[in-house]
Amino acid sequence: MTAADPPSARSAALARLRDTLAGLATRAPTGGTGTPIPVFADPSLIGAGLVRGALHEVCAASPGSGVAFAAILLARCGGQVLWISTEQESNLVWPPGLIPFGLAPESLILARAARWPEALWAMEEALRCPALGGAVLMAGAGQGLDLTATRRLHLAAEAGGVFGLLLRPDGAAGASAARTRWHIAPLSSDAALRWRLTLLRQRGGAPAGPWNVSFEAATGSLRLEAGSG
Amino acid sequence: MRLARRYLAVHLPFWAAEHLRQSRPDLAQDQPLALWARQGARRLLVALDHHAAAAGLEPGQALADAEALLPDLQVLPAMPEASAAGLRELAVWAQRFTPISAALPPDGLLLDITGCDHLFGGEAALLAHLTASLAEAGLSAQGAIAGAAASAMALARVRHDGPIIAAGSEEKAVAPLPLGTALRLPGAMLEDLARLGLRSIGDALRQPRAPLARRFGAPLLDALDAAAGHRAPPITPIAAPPDLSVTRALPEPILTAEAIAALLDRLLAALCARLSRAGLGARRLSLTAFRVDGTEQRLMIGTGAPNRDAGHLARLFTEPLASLAPELGFERFTLHALATDPMGAEGQGALPMGAAPRPDGVLAQLLDRLGQRLRLARPAPMPSHWPERQWRAAPPHEAPSPAPPGWGARAAPVLLRRRPEAVQVTAFAEGAPAAMHWRGRVYPLTRAEGPLRLEAEWWHGGALPPARDYHRVQLASGERLWLCHAGGRWVVQGDLP
Repeated sequence: MTAADPPSARSAALARLRDTLAGLATRAPTGGTGTPIPVFADPSLIGAGLVRGALHEVCAASPGSGVAFAAILLARCGGQVLWISTEQESNLVWPPGLIPFGLAPESLILARAARWPEALWAMEEALRCPALGGAVLMAGAGQGLDLTATRRLHLAAEAGGVFGLLLRPDGAAGASAARTRWHIAPLSSDAALRWRLTLLRQRGGAPAGPWNVSFEAATGSLRLEAGSG
Repeated sequence: MRLARRYLAVHLPFWAAEHLRQSRPDLAQDQPLALWARQGARRLLVALDHHAAAAGLEPGQALADAEALLPDLQVLPAMPEASAAGLRELAVWAQRFTPISAALPPDGLLLDITGCDHLFGGEAALLAHLTASLAEAGLSAQGAIAGAAASAMALARVRHDGPIIAAGSEEKAVAPLPLGTALRLPGAMLEDLARLGLRSIGDALRQPRAPLARRFGAPLLDALDAAAGHRAPPITPIAAPPDLSVTRALPEPILTAEAIAALLDRLLAALCARLSRAGLGARRLSLTAFRVDGTEQRLMIGTGAPNRDAGHLARLFTEPLASLAPELGFERFTLHALATDPMGAEGQGALPMGAAPRPDGVLAQLLDRLGQRLRLARPAPMPSHWPERQWRAAPPHEAPSPAPPGWGARAAPVLLRRRPEAVQVTAFAEGAPAAMHWRGRVYPLTRAEGPLRLEAEWWHGGALPPARDYHRVQLASGERLWLCHAGGRWVVQGDLP
């Protein structure tokens, strides 16, 4: 295009470029192979569920609730699960405790990194590996996880088709390229496990919740309590 | 016409002691040495060196008696596995004389020297050469050559003069040999034979066969026939282990990371070709880089499953390579497969047909890569009810073991503190904690469940730690914690979901 072009031709070209850009911005995710991972039995809440081959984030008000929610999701992605944490983490995952949430110890591989950059590298490598079902990275409060880092992880998950999960403490999350961000907080209960679950944001969709949910041990699923949501 | 076979047998009368002495330079050379093994509650001599034998000691003697007889006796526990492995190595060494050699544990070597003797100037010269080489290495040896393997072995065990028996006259040569030493018959059978007046091989061979077989069974007749050269039981030749190390010497020292990586690729390709021919996959590799100033640097990698995919192994080396300090350059590299496992053709990653690698192979490669920098583990159940001992870290490549039903069902934290966090319980309601001081604040507890008492595992013995009482408590925020009360202290040991 040269300066000699008539103004109408220039505006038409600009319009074409805008269309292309819009198409790029909203293109369907290339990852997401296989069926999505359901969160609720009722598809009217957030559709069929969480897309595989993408990065998702869980912010937990208490460490226990976050791990339980992660275990519920990872149990549904099938296949082997890599659980990555750093040596700085004061807590260790206790594999027998994940069985009630459906995550069997034989499908669990635990990885401990001496430093945070290695944990991040391991997460990216894991997400690129189609032989894994899912990978979870436990991020502490002060650990560098900016837009660029999460974007790298998301692209890796798209390439490998692996379900990626970031487990972060409450209030630590800034900008992120994850497809969804969830918040989970424990609710007082007498018998069943109860949590307050919020979909803080999702790409290409509106935030949703909060829902009061309880865990049904018999079916291994989350049940929406009457009168919430 | 078939070439008549010729066998050279070597008997090493003091093999176990002399082999051990080679690996223990701290032992005095000129003092007697004896090896012992435990038999029930007794410690008995099982092997001697020639000093000890000359002093009149015998295998089977009690260790205490022997020490009383010979105050300067050096004694060591016998190591039968090391001794057998050493004998196999010696058999491999003996392949410099013939391609077919075998180890006959515990103290014999057998060489099929058919058609080889002329290279050494005849059978007598070959035998002299072999025994001289062994003597140089500090090994006493007696050799014999005959047309049958068992005849040669029987002669070597008894005769010190290195007899060479012409084909066909084996029976005559072995006839005067005593049954016990020459054929290694069991002691009870020897006693019975001696009671019948049968002491030498010739005595036994002259007996009618049928009654002998009825009385002593076929093994005696087999041993006699083999020694007399009438039948030739097969020998199991030893195969030299494949050489799994490749070395490249460089005309010019190299310094740059690219040049080193390119050289490593060539070394890996050569090594993987050898591994493939041997049907092996590498488990542990070492790369030694020799610097021009005479120092060397060594890098090691390991794989979880046997592997001979050069590309994958090169990726595992990527990170360690960065730690090499070339300074003025490296002039020589040696790549050595330190540990290998058998690996069939199906394990190869890159098939020429372009077939996709198997998914478990992909996972194994991922775990290999991650394992170079992170600690990987699979949880394996442990028979304990104390939470921190309920699972152990198993190697990530191991086939996952299914959890026993009910494992961990009694207490269900999802996270366990690496170091339990001390708290003070400040109030109780009906014996259960009602408030606690934690991280500088007082938290009322809206709910407490427990106690669940776990007793110390007395079957481990030793001093018993106090029994533990576990409480599941809930804060006003809904957060659920797992408290442990033991020996008067309260700690947070884990997080509940």
